Amino acid sequence: MGKELNVVGARLPMMDAAQKVKGTALFTDDLILPGMLFGKILRSPVPHAKILNIDTSRAEKLPGVKGVYALAKDKVRYIGDDVAAVCAIDPEIAEEAVELIKVDYEELPAVFDPLEAKREGAPEIHEGIKNNTSFAIKKEFGDVQKAFAECDAIFEDIFYSQPVNHAPLEPHAALAQFDPLNGELTIWSSTQIPFFLRRNLSNTLQIPESKVRVIKPKVGGGFGQKIDLFAKDFCAAWFAIQLGKPVKFVYEREEVFICTRQRHPMYITVKTGMKKDGTILAQKFQAHADGGAYNSTAPTMIALSCYFLMIPYRVPNLIYEGYHVYTNKPVGGAMRGHGIPQARFAVERQLDMIAARLGLDAAEVRIKNSIHAGEPHPAKFIINTCGFSDSVKKAADAIGWKEKRGKLPLGRGVGLAGASFPSGVSNMSHISSGAVVQLGRDGAVNVLSGAADIGQGAETVISQIVAEELGVPIEDIRITAADTGITPLDPGTFGSGVTVRAGNAARLAAISVKQKLCNFIADKLEANVADLVAKDRNIFVKGSPEKGMTLSEAIKSYQYADLPMPIVGRGSWMAPATEPTTLFKEDGNFAPSYSFMTQAAEVDVDLHTGKVKLLRMVTAHDCGRAINPMLVEGQLEGSVVGGMGQALYENVIVEKGQVMNPSFLDYGFPTFLEMPEIEAIEVETDDPIGPFGAKEAGEGTQLSPAPAIVNAIYDAIGVDFMELPITPEKILDALEEKKNRKNS
Amino acid sequence: MKQAIELNINGDTHEILVSPNNTLLEVLRDKLGLMGTKRGCDLGACGACTVLINGDAYLSCIMLAVDAIGKEILTIEGLAEGGDLHPLQRSFVENGGLQCGFCTPGMILTAKAILDEEKHPTEEVIKRKMAGNLCRCTGYKKIFEAVMSVTEQSGKEF
Amino acid sequence: MRLPKFEYFAPKDLKEAVSILRNEPSAKILAGGTDLLVNMKHKVECPPAIVNIKGINDLDYIKQDNGAVRIGALTTLKHIYMTSLISEKLPALAEAASAVGSYHHQTMGTLAGNICQQNRCKFFNQSLWWRSSRPTCFKAGGQICHVVNKKEICYSSYCGDVGPALLVLNAKIVVTSSRDSREILLEDLFSGDGKAPLNLNPGEILVEIIIPLEEMDGVSGYTKFANRENIDFPIVGTAFWASMENKEYRVAFTAVDRKPLRAHQAEAFLNGKNLNEEILEEAAELAAKDAKPVKTSVYSTTYKRRLMGLLLKSTVSEAMRRAKS
Repeated sequence: MGKELNVVGARLPMMDAAQKVKGTALFTDDLILPGMLFGKILRSPVPHAKILNIDTSRAEKLPGVKGVYALAKDKVRYIGDDVAAVCAIDPEIAEEAVELIKVDYEELPAVFDPLEAKREGAPEIHEGIKNNTSFAIKKEFGDVQKAFAECDAIFEDIFYSQPVNHAPLEPHAALAQFDPLNGELTIWSSTQIPFFLRRNLSNTLQIPESKVRVIKPKVGGGFGQKIDLFAKDFCAAWFAIQLGKPVKFVYEREEVFICTRQRHPMYITVKTGMKKDGTILAQKFQAHADGGAYNSTAPTMIALSCYFLMIPYRVPNLIYEGYHVYTNKPVGGAMRGHGIPQARFAVERQLDMIAARLGLDAAEVRIKNSIHAGEPHPAKFIINTCGFSDSVKKAADAIGWKEKRGKLPLGRGVGLAGASFPSGVSNMSHISSGAVVQLGRDGAVNVLSGAADIGQGAETVISQIVAEELGVPIEDIRITAADTGITPLDPGTFGSGVTVRAGNAARLAAISVKQKLCNFIADKLEANVADLVAKDRNIFVKGSPEKGMTLSEAIKSYQYADLPMPIVGRGSWMAPATEPTTLFKEDGNFAPSYSFMTQAAEVDVDLHTGKVKLLRMVTAHDCGRAINPMLVEGQLEGSVVGGMGQALYENVIVEKGQVMNPSFLDYGFPTFLEMPEIEAIEVETDDPIGPFGAKEAGEGTQLSPAPAIVNAIYDAIGVDFMELPITPEKILDALEEKKNRKNS
Repeated sequence: MKQAIELNINGDTHEILVSPNNTLLEVLRDKLGLMGTKRGCDLGACGACTVLINGDAYLSCIMLAVDAIGKEILTIEGLAEGGDLHPLQRSFVENGGLQCGFCTPGMILTAKAILDEEKHPTEEVIKRKMAGNLCRCTGYKKIFEAVMSVTEQSGKEF
Repeated sequence: MRLPKFEYFAPKDLKEAVSILRNEPSAKILAGGTDLLVNMKHKVECPPAIVNIKGINDLDYIKQDNGAVRIGALTTLKHIYMTSLISEKLPALAEAASAVGSYHHQTMGTLAGNICQQNRCKFFNQSLWWRSSRPTCFKAGGQICHVVNKKEICYSSYCGDVGPALLVLNAKIVVTSSRDSREILLEDLFSGDGKAPLNLNPGEILVEIIIPLEEMDGVSGYTKFANRENIDFPIVGTAFWASMENKEYRVAFTAVDRKPLRAHQAEAFLNGKNLNEEILEEAAELAAKDAKPVKTSVYSTTYKRRLMGLLLKSTVSEAMRRAKS
């Protein structure tokens, strides 16, 4: 790289780590305001029904109840749908009051399968939405029919990816307060999207955005589940306005499981045409996403699952058909990967199966089809850096591919899967970020950023970038973030865009303030501005450190000059878009940059009980450059265990529209005892777009663990699994079936 | 009608009004403003509500407040010595054993209970005893390394 | 989720406790609380009164006298497996105690509490709101069982770990009320009725668990198979005891029936024989016939039956291996 970096690239603890280990970090439910009231939501026990009547009289009479409101809707569309809300002086009374609300439902026929819901005659879940399909696209890149004709072999397979719950440790919560004199609403919310939340609250409450202030406290995990305006946000705000008191809503764990969001279950058919040497020529991909009762982020999810079929492998001809279909079940939304994990599972599995059918090595097939930086792309992606084929080689080496694949005893196996993810998105409006950097007389640096840190360490990464730019240690940085009343705009934490987008904005703001300062002191130092460097809390002439002054002296002399102005630097950043695109109308570069990775898994299948143990997962990961390697590892390790959960343990089990396992006990995601060995290998490509070369590192890493594990299971026991999760029972059934087939 | 009880928390005696059906978690958070102990599920399945009672790890969300009378209760707020972090807290910070921080107080207190019981537990013992503390962010690896790092320092008092 | 309101009693001694229980026949006993309080938050159990017995002294002990190992009802699970007498001489019990839930549950949970735990079912162990999607189930006070869709019968499963371990150790229990104190075989405590799993009269409290000393002469073990290694309830749990000299064997299972199941048919088949894999497989099949698992959880009954056989083999081989070393 050539660059000598001091703060960027360092393994630093998160800036708020001390608060978190001391228990003084404040999450939404930790906030108390005088006179605070507590809310609870009444939810539908039936999957599909007209609301005939809501009788709140008994609830209203309960001493301590301050307000009961029915939500303005005529229908409920899933078990868990919000119906009414209560506000009381303490949570116990609120709970009691909810039980006293009597609702008369007229049950309607319900539908629980998206393929059935799409058919003629299926119950209509949303008025006017034909075939319950809220969103559908068909896109073609290249000429698929022609390409299929040129293939040596065509394979078609069907896959299913199950509903998964994010299960963040902190339940969703909101605390709202209203000032009747100036008409301003303030809301603290456990959210990933403070600015979008502001907009959505403004629209639903009919208050101007300028009168809505959203503040994000510490957030205890989101993974996509805290995107969207939820009933707790709206109801807290509504009650605060009506009652003139602060109002807090906190969800129970079962509400988080049932009434927030989950990863869309997807039914997928993939048809892939190959040359016999393993070159992919064409692909036809059809997906039915089970959207549950409402739309949430359907179009984005479908778009991602479409476009990211053409990366990390070269797929020059593609037909994508995607449907988002309503069912009377919990709502699908953004979850780490947002449509891509499901697609990735299908294509990575199929690629392995194709390699086996063609007698090719699964790692080499991936290298063969790997995209490279700068090559033309069917959807016009601009790929400046790409470490994919490198990542395949490194992951394969590290897992011992040559020695192990196909060679381990029955029950042990290794498998690979690759992926790519956008570092934020280019082709949507409002995806821009702003930052402000202010300098204090003692050299202290104050950063304002709209970025929403939900535990991934965004504030730390941004601070490292600013510190590097200004030549100060990170201890000198103080950051205020994610307060729509104070900080500049940022779309929020989704699409893995924060480091690139908010990081770049902060970098530009730091450069801006550094520039102002340097312009001023260049005269004093009798130097050219271009020759000044900032390092170790000093600004000096490159090569002549004695010709300089401390940052603090520089600021003071700036402030005492004839025309003192505050030292403020501003920056804003948006991904360069090649053409204006609206996701589906025109092609264009989808994201400012793309991360790449390959994960290699080694598993041990217990042939008696069917339990699969993930022994080891290696990730070779191209995130451009790791601004903070310790935080990047954290993202990776969390993703691997999350992917393992998706592959082997997790499933939102729904019977007749009811979630049967809405608890941490029954929805068993991995614990310490399931932890595998995890190894991270960095593939540094130093991207030109991201700050200091960085690309995303938070979501891409959860795309490939599940297929890597399933591919390893194939190597271990010779069974192709087409559905997730792979439970011990399924393993035993498959082994039994395999035995019977052999015998017959 | 509520009754007045005394609870000894982090070395201090507090007199509070409680109902028998108040859990210790509710009392810590709602009545004493000790927000470090978290409510992750309220049903004893995640460990975020862990407190130490006479040195042992308890789930405060499934424990009656009145059941804590006469015991020494330690919450995360009571761990640091004055301005300094406890060695476990420092290790979590230095080893990156946290991300969102919500499970962190529970993790640290459970680790303390384990290390108070035996100074050098095996890796297997640590994993088994911490399996009741769930984390969704970290994948556990750095938390495990943070705890192991403390066990490797001999002669430390916890 | 808040606990419902209740009248609270904290007796200082056993005499006071049984007197309160006599006057409050619907009261529930609070020991560790890890089972009862969760059920109360779910409002499947809403006792008008709770009797906290943890204030009673002399119910927390492990001693050896009168030809038996005697364990007080309030002895915590952790204390049990940390006591070398148990871990070395009665390994089935130590292994079962250390298999329960999480480390915290073992600290809080008591031996009697684990024995007397409420039966479980995916339709029962849910919140009040969740259950309002269907008519109240029979166990929770309604009329129908949602598992088998029949009226006035309950198929909930017994899922405790120490139950089967104590069964293979031929444990007895002492049950005390204000009127009398009786000693019964642990096996007789379990009714096999999902709705009222324990044969305890109102006003009675389990105070002591007795394991005859001669049980220490055998080899024993307990294995739990669960989704996640420690923290989950067993999908199947298996306990085994053997006297190698007399070729006498005892086998018990949990999570396969409405009570912990002593597999008498399997035992009768095994007694007198040398154990090998085929013999154990046949025994497991007999045990599987004895068991009546129903789909009270998300695991299929076929899988449970299969696991019974597997676990029997692995528990036996582990117990034997340990005995040799």
